[in-house]
Amino acid sequence: MMQLECPNCGPRNVSEFRFRGEYVERPHDGADPARRRAWAEYLYFRDNRAGVQKEWWYHQAGCGRWFLAERHTKSHAVENTRYWGGEATS
Amino acid sequence: MSPGRLAVHPSHLIDQSRPVEFLFDGRTYKGFEGDTVASALWAAGVRMFSRSFKYHRPRAPFAMTGADTNCMVRAGDEPNVRACVKLVAPGLNVTPQNVWPSLNADLMSLSSLAARFMPAGFYYRTFMRPKFLWPWYERVLRNAAGLGYVTLETPSTYYDKEYGFAELLVIGGGPSGMSAALSAAGRGARVVLLEESPYLGGHLRHERQTVETATGERLPAYQLAARLSDRVFANRNISVELETNAFGIYEDLWIGAAKRDTRLLKIRAQSLILANGAFERPLVFENNDLPGVMLGSAAWRLLHLYATMPGRRAVVVSANDDGLRVAIDLHAAGIEVAAVVELRNDPDPTLAAALRARGIDVKVRSVVVKAHGRRRVERVTIGQMTDESPSLSGTVDVTPGTREVVKCDLVTVSIGWTPATGLLHQAGGQTAYDTTAAESRVTQLPERVRAAGRVSGTHDVTTAMAEGEMHGLDAAAELGLGDGASTELREKVASLKATQLIRNSSAVHVRGGKMAFVSFDEDVTVKDINDSVAEGYSSMELLKRYSTLSMGPSQGKYESTNTMALCSAANDEPIATTGSTTSRPPFHPVSLGVLAGRKMEPVKHTPMHDWHVEHGARMMNVGLWKRPEHYGDPAEEVLTTRRGVGLIDVSTLGKLQVIGSDVPELLEMLYINRWRKLAPGRVRYGVMCTDEGMISDDGIAANLGADRWYVTTTTGGADGVYENIEWNLQSGWTFDVHVANVTDHYAAMNLTGPRAVDILREVTDIDLRGDALPYMSVREGHVAQVPARVMRIGFTGELGLEIHVAAGYGLHVWETLMDAGRAHGIIAFGVEAQRIMRLETGHFIVGQDTDALTDPYMANLERAVRTDKPDFLGRPSLVHIEQRGIRSKLVGYRMLDAHVVPPEGSQIVVPDSTRPIGLEIIGRITSARYSPTLDASIGLCWLPADGCEPGAEFTARVRGDLLPGRVVSLPHYDPKAG
Amino acid sequence: MSFTLLKRGLRPNRPPAPMWREHPLQDHYDVVIIGGGAHGLATAYYLATVHGITDVAVLEKRYIGSGASGRNTAILRSNYLTPEGILFYDESIKLYENLASELDFNVMFSQRGHLTLAHTDSSMRTMQWRAEVNQIQNVDSRVISPAEVKKLVPFIDTSDRPRYPIMGALYHPPGGVIRHDAVVWGYARAADAKGVHIHQQTEVTGIDVEHNRVVAVQTNRGRIATGTVLNATAGWCSLIAAMAGVRLPVETRPLQACVTEPLKPFLDTVIVSGTFHFYLSQSDRGELVMGASVNPFASYSTDATLDFAEALAGHVLELFPSLAKVRLLRHWAGLCDMTPDFSPIMGTTPVDGFLVDVGWGTYGFKAAPVSGKRMAELIATNRTPELIAPFAYDRFFTGQIVGEKGAAAVTN
Repeated sequence: MMQLECPNCGPRNVSEFRFRGEYVERPHDGADPARRRAWAEYLYFRDNRAGVQKEWWYHQAGCGRWFLAERHTKSHAVENTRYWGGEATS
Repeated sequence: MSPGRLAVHPSHLIDQSRPVEFLFDGRTYKGFEGDTVASALWAAGVRMFSRSFKYHRPRAPFAMTGADTNCMVRAGDEPNVRACVKLVAPGLNVTPQNVWPSLNADLMSLSSLAARFMPAGFYYRTFMRPKFLWPWYERVLRNAAGLGYVTLETPSTYYDKEYGFAELLVIGGGPSGMSAALSAAGRGARVVLLEESPYLGGHLRHERQTVETATGERLPAYQLAARLSDRVFANRNISVELETNAFGIYEDLWIGAAKRDTRLLKIRAQSLILANGAFERPLVFENNDLPGVMLGSAAWRLLHLYATMPGRRAVVVSANDDGLRVAIDLHAAGIEVAAVVELRNDPDPTLAAALRARGIDVKVRSVVVKAHGRRRVERVTIGQMTDESPSLSGTVDVTPGTREVVKCDLVTVSIGWTPATGLLHQAGGQTAYDTTAAESRVTQLPERVRAAGRVSGTHDVTTAMAEGEMHGLDAAAELGLGDGASTELREKVASLKATQLIRNSSAVHVRGGKMAFVSFDEDVTVKDINDSVAEGYSSMELLKRYSTLSMGPSQGKYESTNTMALCSAANDEPIATTGSTTSRPPFHPVSLGVLAGRKMEPVKHTPMHDWHVEHGARMMNVGLWKRPEHYGDPAEEVLTTRRGVGLIDVSTLGKLQVIGSDVPELLEMLYINRWRKLAPGRVRYGVMCTDEGMISDDGIAANLGADRWYVTTTTGGADGVYENIEWNLQSGWTFDVHVANVTDHYAAMNLTGPRAVDILREVTDIDLRGDALPYMSVREGHVAQVPARVMRIGFTGELGLEIHVAAGYGLHVWETLMDAGRAHGIIAFGVEAQRIMRLETGHFIVGQDTDALTDPYMANLERAVRTDKPDFLGRPSLVHIEQRGIRSKLVGYRMLDAHVVPPEGSQIVVPDSTRPIGLEIIGRITSARYSPTLDASIGLCWLPADGCEPGAEFTARVRGDLLPGRVVSLPHYDPKAG
Repeated sequence: MSFTLLKRGLRPNRPPAPMWREHPLQDHYDVVIIGGGAHGLATAYYLATVHGITDVAVLEKRYIGSGASGRNTAILRSNYLTPEGILFYDESIKLYENLASELDFNVMFSQRGHLTLAHTDSSMRTMQWRAEVNQIQNVDSRVISPAEVKKLVPFIDTSDRPRYPIMGALYHPPGGVIRHDAVVWGYARAADAKGVHIHQQTEVTGIDVEHNRVVAVQTNRGRIATGTVLNATAGWCSLIAAMAGVRLPVETRPLQACVTEPLKPFLDTVIVSGTFHFYLSQSDRGELVMGASVNPFASYSTDATLDFAEALAGHVLELFPSLAKVRLLRHWAGLCDMTPDFSPIMGTTPVDGFLVDVGWGTYGFKAAPVSGKRMAELIATNRTPELIAPFAYDRFFTGQIVGEKGAAAVTN
């Protein structure tokens, strides 16, 4: 089983975490009729990289912190994890 | 000495003073403690255990390792048991498998007569026409397939799981594994050593040759095994798990192992040394599957572990020194060695001389061509190899005129070894076929993984031990213990490895004959491989899928090298180019019971659970919770509640405690409706959407004052809502709030009905007079002398007082209310009555009346959607949806016939002759009940937004009948109006 | 016995005819199909047979059927939730029913019935909903009682011992299993016979787009000029689409499956339990074939995980306690391209000449024939067939999301 490093608790079995998905920015003007396509892109479309991806994780069976991981989606190697807006750990 | 057994020797695993009686095929046999079913039966002269998968050919022990499937039997209530590792036990009932009607008179074995019409994949080429007969053909095919059987009576016995941690995990307790464990433990590493056999020592245990220790001492192999084993067991840093099959190496060195078939070990290792050996390689020749043909190491195991004579008269096929030693050991045990068929020109002169001294004929450059016999080997044809043999791809031809027939009841085959690289590949290691060594060699290993001994191509015992020691020291150094192996040791290992004798013959297959098996599991022959490749299934993966090679219960452990060689020969390319198939866990088959462990299905009980059960509640599952569905008569529960008063356990509601100065701001963002102006003491209903604008949850939020709020969610919804709030708070929402999920901390109950206030008043200090607690408000105080929150809300249309108390007081408060209500005719009601009442009132249930594509406009919540707020979850989508308009709406209905209640999920239709049964779907009934209050069949349904006004009629398809219904305005029932 | 087998049996020394041939890679094809799985090969087959378009290349990175086509558990059914889903899969089942005789290759479609178990009252409602929609589309499907389940599957525990007892099931008699590899091989042989070029070991490395039009495909074996490219990959659809500059609403998740050692037949029907997250059938070889939900996080790894095997075994034993001593034999994973509405994406994209047949989640194999047939029709006629119109790429921008999500989670 893969291990993931929680910025708060350190390396833990991945089964303790919940995956939320690829990191995407929520457009601030999504309601603008001219921005409908951009809003749909935000809701549904993803890069879905076969490589290092920035993504959201939640330490559900642990401290309850959400954090960002940069993880390779094929090898599962985790380059770093960090809180939103925080410093990267590696 | 017992009849059929050899004299007692220290290498034996059996105790000849302790007999054990068991059954095979209905007859009683005698073995000894420590015997396997296979060794005991073989000693008793049994030569056929079961029948093969496709042609029902006789099957008997071949490898004696537990890794092949030739000796699979049914033992007790367990199918597909490997008799060669299953220990005998008093009364154990062993039966043959895949026989019909019996082992000796098996009619399905006639299928081998038709073998020429049943090439690999024959079923793809037949039974296509006529189509209507295919199910019949299929039935025949199905009944012929499979091996063991299961019965309904097979009990699920005790299984468990164990978690472990190892600084160094060593897999394999042979000479290299033990050396690795000892050297790492010597540096202070905490080592776990897994060994599949009930003993340590590996192949040393069944070999008698003289070997040399690191210190230059010479002693018999089995004695060295015992000495190393004693040192390992005495070492406090090493914990040994015997009879433990490591079956999977998963990510980040997470190792799965099955111990004695009853316990799953899950070990997180910091470092791993694979020392799990090699499988001896079969030779492919005509009838190479006949009982009595076995690997040289199998003969050794029978002789030296189980004191069992493998036969009376042997032909030994040899292409390495192991073969010559097998011949010597057979002879020493009193077995006549009719011939040693030696593939090489120049066998080891010392061993050859020893054989000649015993009067044994060593025929060099010879090979076995064919085994003869009906149910067991009776004779073999042998011959001289041509000068060109073996070819590059391993094919052997025999010079015409050199054939001779030799009588025998045993053929041993010692032509080489296939490293057991399955686990190594799972760990991320890579191998490549080395033509000189005639085996796959490790080319790359991931960090923290090492390989020692036969798995890494080190066949010599002294070298394997040095290699194990080196890796053990290096693994310890990696853990910060010591400075690793010395340069001297490193150089010694490298030079020993470079100069060791090659034990593998490049010979794979002796040409000729139709029944030359590559796969014993699946009865796949050389011809099957050649035909499959010619048909285009030329890569190893396609060949495997088409011919079923390596898909049998042994996972191809004994056929992989031969398959690779034959596939490359058929493709006319080097073996190294052909490559192998992917190796995946489990390396050894592992039972579902071991994987499952003990039953782990959580159940949540509310604090009042036992009361419900004692009072006759019929309990139902709601997510993880158990809830009372009803206490006998839900209609009576409805009527009593509406007339007087009822009490329902709503502890399963999700509950959040939200504290901080910005709680209203948070709620504004979470819900579609407004919150800012909700005064302390007030409660409001809220609906939550996803950013797609679809309804995700609903509940109420109560302003308790002083920046304290109490929020409820749907049953089962709290975790998701909580996580989502936290995600927003931790990714940009900068509110001064603190949220806690307190679902399990509070018991909750709802006192419902016109008399609710009368009862609560008797047991609370909260002021309930007049308008002191208006609709949609909250008060804190005491109920039944314990701290409580009371909210006046109305899910059922009746006056409802929802009381939340600390979970530990739940039952006390519940019982107090029931006592206080007795005089008022109180009734406990369950989920069913609540559903009826909420339906009468017209409330929808998230997840029942709505689904993942329901927006608030469709659910008649347009007035709640405040798109004039600057933002909230789902707002942009809802703005777009509002502009686009909606196509369907959730509405109330009554069936015209009051006594027809459509099943929920019934469809609303209009006639359309172009459709399959003349109907087009325009809507769906999501909630339907008979209303005892109204004596009517009422519900909620989806209809097109156009034409769903009250009064509109529709047709529902109810159990196949088309029945009329009418849209009505909600609520169906309003107690205040009624 | 078939004539071929008879001939082979009587002339054992003559090698059998090859199923498909190898060709040099041409520098131009009218149509290039990326992905040598069931969808790509079926499209090629129908292009060649129905529309006479034979200048077609099927490019396969590894060997045909090496992706999702050869890794799924080969369950077929048409008892979907939405009318558009049902119509689509029903045509697929009908095509599958005739496939063996059409391709002269026994794909072993075994219509032994399909049971979706309900363990909660909400899943009972969904089963009823599905049954009603199915019946109106004339698909054989009905809700049955636990006693009827027991009659069909004597080994299942219908008592109240399991954590979630069986309350009923959706019974779909035409559902069943098929030999997935045979479908791939059968289509490949038939397409090859019509002149389609199947290129194995041929990896696409780029797609050339000029003025928003596809002009060529780059491969490890050279460049192919073409005006029409179909992305029929699973697991890599986002990566191929990105080569053409198209972004997809897809997240790739591994889906694991496994088989046990072979046992004598005791289970005829396909069993699916949404609550216990597993599906189970017994193959004609006697193996129990089992699967569950997709992995809990996005990944392109096809490694098997121990947690999956543990959870699956626990859930299977909850309903089949007498299988505790049956051994898991093989365990693998395939990649599934999950879309937000659990429905595929079929048809044109913003780039002219770049078509997609992707986003098949965990249900792609069920739809191979109908997808192939209708994608071929689209390629040949330039008009989107009505049957696949609901699955258009544009639906994510116009709010026309498909409603199959209602039947999410374990859907096999």
